[in-house]
Amino acid sequence: MKLKGAFFDFAGCEGDQLQVANLEEDLLELLDLLEVVSFREIMKEHSDEYDIAFVEGSCTRFEDEERLRQIRHNAKLVVALGSCATIGGINSLRNYKSLDEVKDTVYGDRADMISTYEARPIDAVIRVDAYVHGCPIDKAEFLHVVKSLVLGKKPEIPNYPVCVECKKNENICAFERGEFCVGPVTRAGCNSCCINEGTICWGCRGLVDNPNEDAHKEVLETYGLTVDEAINKFRLYFGWQRGGE
Amino acid sequence: MKIIKKEGFSTFVNALIENEPKIEGVKSKGDKFVFDTLTSADELQLDYDVTILPPKKYFFPQWEPLYTYKLSHTITAERVITADPFILIGVHPYDIAALLQMDEVFKETKSDPYYRKKREASTIIGVNIKKPSEWCFAGSMGCATVDEGYDLMLTDLGTEYAVEVGSKKGENLLGKYADNLSDPQDDQVQKVETEKYKITQMCPQNLDFPQKFIPDLLEKNYENIEFWEEHAATCYSCGSCVMVCPTCYCYDVYDTLDLTLDRGQKMRTWDGCLLEDFAKVATGENFRSATMSRYRHRYYKKGKYLFDRFGFVSCVGCGRCSSHCLPDIANPAAVFNDLYYETQKAGIPAGPTPAPAVTPSPEADIDFVPKLATIIKKTPMTEKETLFEITLDDRTDLGHTPGQFVQVTVFGVGEAPISVTSSPTKKGSFELCIRKVGNVTYAMHRLNVGDKIGIRGPFGNGFNVEALKGKDILFVAGGLGVVPLRSLINYVLDKRGEFGNVTILYGCKEPCEILFADEIEQWKTYTHTQHYLTVDKCPEDVCWEGNIGVITTLVPNVDFTPQTVCALVVGPPVMYRFVVESLHEMGVPDSHILVSLERRMKCAVGKCGHCQINNLYVCKDGPVFNFEDIKDAPEAI
Repeated sequence: MKLKGAFFDFAGCEGDQLQVANLEEDLLELLDLLEVVSFREIMKEHSDEYDIAFVEGSCTRFEDEERLRQIRHNAKLVVALGSCATIGGINSLRNYKSLDEVKDTVYGDRADMISTYEARPIDAVIRVDAYVHGCPIDKAEFLHVVKSLVLGKKPEIPNYPVCVECKKNENICAFERGEFCVGPVTRAGCNSCCINEGTICWGCRGLVDNPNEDAHKEVLETYGLTVDEAINKFRLYFGWQRGGE
Repeated sequence: MKIIKKEGFSTFVNALIENEPKIEGVKSKGDKFVFDTLTSADELQLDYDVTILPPKKYFFPQWEPLYTYKLSHTITAERVITADPFILIGVHPYDIAALLQMDEVFKETKSDPYYRKKREASTIIGVNIKKPSEWCFAGSMGCATVDEGYDLMLTDLGTEYAVEVGSKKGENLLGKYADNLSDPQDDQVQKVETEKYKITQMCPQNLDFPQKFIPDLLEKNYENIEFWEEHAATCYSCGSCVMVCPTCYCYDVYDTLDLTLDRGQKMRTWDGCLLEDFAKVATGENFRSATMSRYRHRYYKKGKYLFDRFGFVSCVGCGRCSSHCLPDIANPAAVFNDLYYETQKAGIPAGPTPAPAVTPSPEADIDFVPKLATIIKKTPMTEKETLFEITLDDRTDLGHTPGQFVQVTVFGVGEAPISVTSSPTKKGSFELCIRKVGNVTYAMHRLNVGDKIGIRGPFGNGFNVEALKGKDILFVAGGLGVVPLRSLINYVLDKRGEFGNVTILYGCKEPCEILFADEIEQWKTYTHTQHYLTVDKCPEDVCWEGNIGVITTLVPNVDFTPQTVCALVVGPPVMYRFVVESLHEMGVPDSHILVSLERRMKCAVGKCGHCQINNLYVCKDGPVFNFEDIKDAPEAI
């Protein structure tokens, strides 16, 4: 029987769901595998009966937790979709400032009306069965995860750095172009797409399980970054994973 | 040797581009160089220093399909080998030397047709180095020039190239497309020799000692943990060094499935022994978990293990690893020099190691396409293990020896190595006892009688049953270790008269994990056969008559003659050291202890590198080893 899938969004830009909506020629075949029962971005119907919940966005409020728990309760499998959900994403940048300062900056004299706390990935609140990393997610990897789950497989996601894919793609190393990149500590699986296009790796897929961060800070400094600049490289996406350091 | 004006050579290349199917050559990419498809001779950059990736990518591509399969009502699988003819222009001698090494590697044990057919389809036009890269030490490795491995070889003489012909193929190519060739003057011949000599002397990096010392230096520094830890301290485990290496050949094998789920491809892709999970198995054990041990392994594989196997140090001095290592710890010349000085300082003599006698044993081609097989019986054994009885669809016998394993494919999911648990005396079908731990084994448990799987193998060295005949045998099985041992236990019991006294020790964590309980009852009925069971712990509400304690507690209490018994030990990785220790205490000599080891495996023929322990491959040198042969391999147990 076809599995039922539902999409949910928390604090995020909904760009990952947009990637799914943009699957174009793969969409019909995807719908043969998965009956979509809820997807606010593309349909008005909604059902609470689903097997797989795809959750985009970070958890940023106490109120989010209850909703996440309800999703976890309803779903057999929960998939975190995109950096905000998988690793806290750029939302976690705000965790480096005091909450009052953050609220004042964004909401000014209405800050008191806003309920919020440190941004976090959804697995800080509920159990997550699979991750589709990236900002935004890679369409092919999303399909890989769906196919795996339909087949009862645990999706295989690399635990090696982006450098592996970058070398296979025969790119000129960003450092050799005089730029700075966090590819050596970032989880691969994106096929080094950003470096292939001539830019750098910002780290949107999060750190590998055991990154050698000290080595990377040393390297960044050797190549001419100040300590602060090097730390900023790590803060953009790795804030939650590094515990706000 | 022929001489061709540079303009003449451009005309030659353009004629190739126009008339031959595929011409690849060295082109610019930013301020770097790559091998890529040529559309005009103007793109060629023959005075390049080094390319980002070596030409290896044409013969052993980054990603490569091995076979395709269809999963409609019948399963079909078809091997895919792409090997279209092509001409490669501008290969430096060190890269040619690397290809010659890869030729040896890819034909050992089982010849790899994916690699070989691409090599056969290629024409290599080499060029001598004009300016080496700042990391190049090819001179020290004896690979700055080569005498073979090319069809044509160019040397830049200013306004013309000297062209050395290395093969009939090269000669024909010249004959067909090159006009205005002339014979060399004496001074031109002399100049080519001078140029070549200059190249061997002009590499910016050098070994400060003879290259032949490398295996010996490594031999003497394996336990120099401080040295390796210090050098590996800033290693990212990013694998850049091995990805760009012209002589690295580790690979991973994986499935890609169409979205329709009824068609798929088996793919292989470059993998690297530097990567954290390279030697990690489904149960979670990582046999090379420390960064230092992976870093060290790379140097040993290049400088010692492949030397022991093939007689060459598997580094050609191209310097790509050095140039791509951000923390600058991957420069083999620097590391080997450090090792040399440190060894000298410690007063340890180092010298050349005589090259080993290499006996090439090219067998049949490796076949990644599995044979179709059918599950004919499925018997749940415990919560986690199920016994599958399987027949090959071509109605042949598996033809295994006890202790061998097969590669089991669940189509669309993947492939995993599984020990055969039935005895070869069982004809017509074979049995696999499978614990659900990873994707393939879970998928296997979801299959039913009548479902199809794929089987490759049997692989590896099993137990030498002939050598065991007439001997007393002590089986020591821990947990799942009983699965491969059962193949031999049943063989011995089926031919009871041909063996001496048999003692079987079998331990599990808890009584509920005991496998083959019915058969164990039957063991009692055989003469001169004793068995003892033990569990680590027993819940209060479970009735248990056997021993309680780890398996080593059984060893001193059983009756066997230590000097003559053959002890066959199989269990979880943690068990071996303790069992071997207690066997030693009883007086059992090393050579009378056989063990079977488990590692991650992809190819099963000693290529992909995942199962390697020091210089041994578990898949082809094992999984059954005589303890005598592995006691000096620190990574074994």
